[in-house]
Amino acid sequence: MTNPARSGAGDDQRDSDLIARWKAGDERAATELVERHSAALARFAVSSGERNDIDELVQDTFVRAFNSLDGFRGDSSFRTWLFTIERRLLLDRRRSEKRRRDRTEIQESDSATEYDALDSVVADETQRRLHDAVAQLSPTQREVFALRVAEGLSYKEIAEAVGTTEGAARVHYHNAMRAVKEFLDE
Amino acid sequence: MNDCPNAEIRDQLPDLLHDRLDVSMRAAVMAHIDECVDCRSELELLRGVHGMLTAQTPRVDINYVVNALPKRAPHALRVVPRRRVWSDWRIAAAVAVLAIGSGSFAVLRQSQTTPSVTVPPLASHSNPAPVDSTNGVTTPSADTVVRVADNAGGSETSPDAAKSADEQTGAAGLATTARLADLNERQLQALLDQIDQLQAVPITEPEPVTIRVGSQSSSPEGA
Repeated sequence: MTNPARSGAGDDQRDSDLIARWKAGDERAATELVERHSAALARFAVSSGERNDIDELVQDTFVRAFNSLDGFRGDSSFRTWLFTIERRLLLDRRRSEKRRRDRTEIQESDSATEYDALDSVVADETQRRLHDAVAQLSPTQREVFALRVAEGLSYKEIAEAVGTTEGAARVHYHNAMRAVKEFLDE
Repeated sequence: MNDCPNAEIRDQLPDLLHDRLDVSMRAAVMAHIDECVDCRSELELLRGVHGMLTAQTPRVDINYVVNALPKRAPHALRVVPRRRVWSDWRIAAAVAVLAIGSGSFAVLRQSQTTPSVTVPPLASHSNPAPVDSTNGVTTPSADTVVRVADNAGGSETSPDAAKSADEQTGAAGLATTARLADLNERQLQALLDQIDQLQAVPITEPEPVTIRVGSQSSSPEGA
């Protein structure tokens, strides 16, 4: 059983307080909210295969979130809500990139994936193997795996962020774990 | 690398990694890990993936993000109009029904009060109305019957004749009726003038109008 005090309940309360302070006009509260969640958003972007313009993506996520804070009902945690927004932005970005590729008629073999671009960054052999193991997952498996392993979200929170059910998130996670193990065993 | 058959413990490993387990569950998972090689391996794998993803993530420029944020709370800048709720429409519908109902009732009441038309007494003795021989009252055989006031002006009959007619019709104001065809032109014009002065047009079929004749024209003797 997860510990409520350590499972984000305290963090959620802190986020709620900061949101209330920002609504009251305290701009330092916005800075603290960014400091608390920007690293996780950047990590989720990278684990989802995004490599370019991470700062812009995180910035767009926060701007969109702050512009629609009135619509945030607190049903999920603030961080989960941010992941939901960022995921939509990622999908929009990939769609526009795909259209751009289609217009320029770049052949499939020439279009390197974002994870291919990461190869030069990953220097350590162990990390390279792990990186390749995660890279071969399906996009949904990768998202669920990253949110569970890198961010420690519960299946319920993952389901809210990814837009699926709690049971489906659990299945995606275990399938991803099995695929990673098999890749590393090869 | 094998999977531990204890799926419940395996499900808790990411929570253990992020220190999200309560004391009792943490103790149980740790005790299991001490004895389970597969779970130890999986936990190490999770640590490796977490470290790999963290190492690959570039540092975000906080100021770059913060500078793009809106400076004031959106709700403080705009007034959110109150949303109409379902009860508002129900109240409006109830008020409309009451207004229509009371208006209909008023119109109905007004239409039920038939105005009495007063025309001058008959001046001519010709073409008298048919008289019921049993009670001396003319029979309302015409489609429209006009009530004529007893003391209306313009009578051409003598006071004695009028008195005689009153005696025939009774002291209780029993009306004597006559056909419209019995009225002369002046009486008809007076009747039309009074109709024109009516303020509302009845919505129902016009009721028979009784002519109270104050002269001898409609009395049995006059006939």
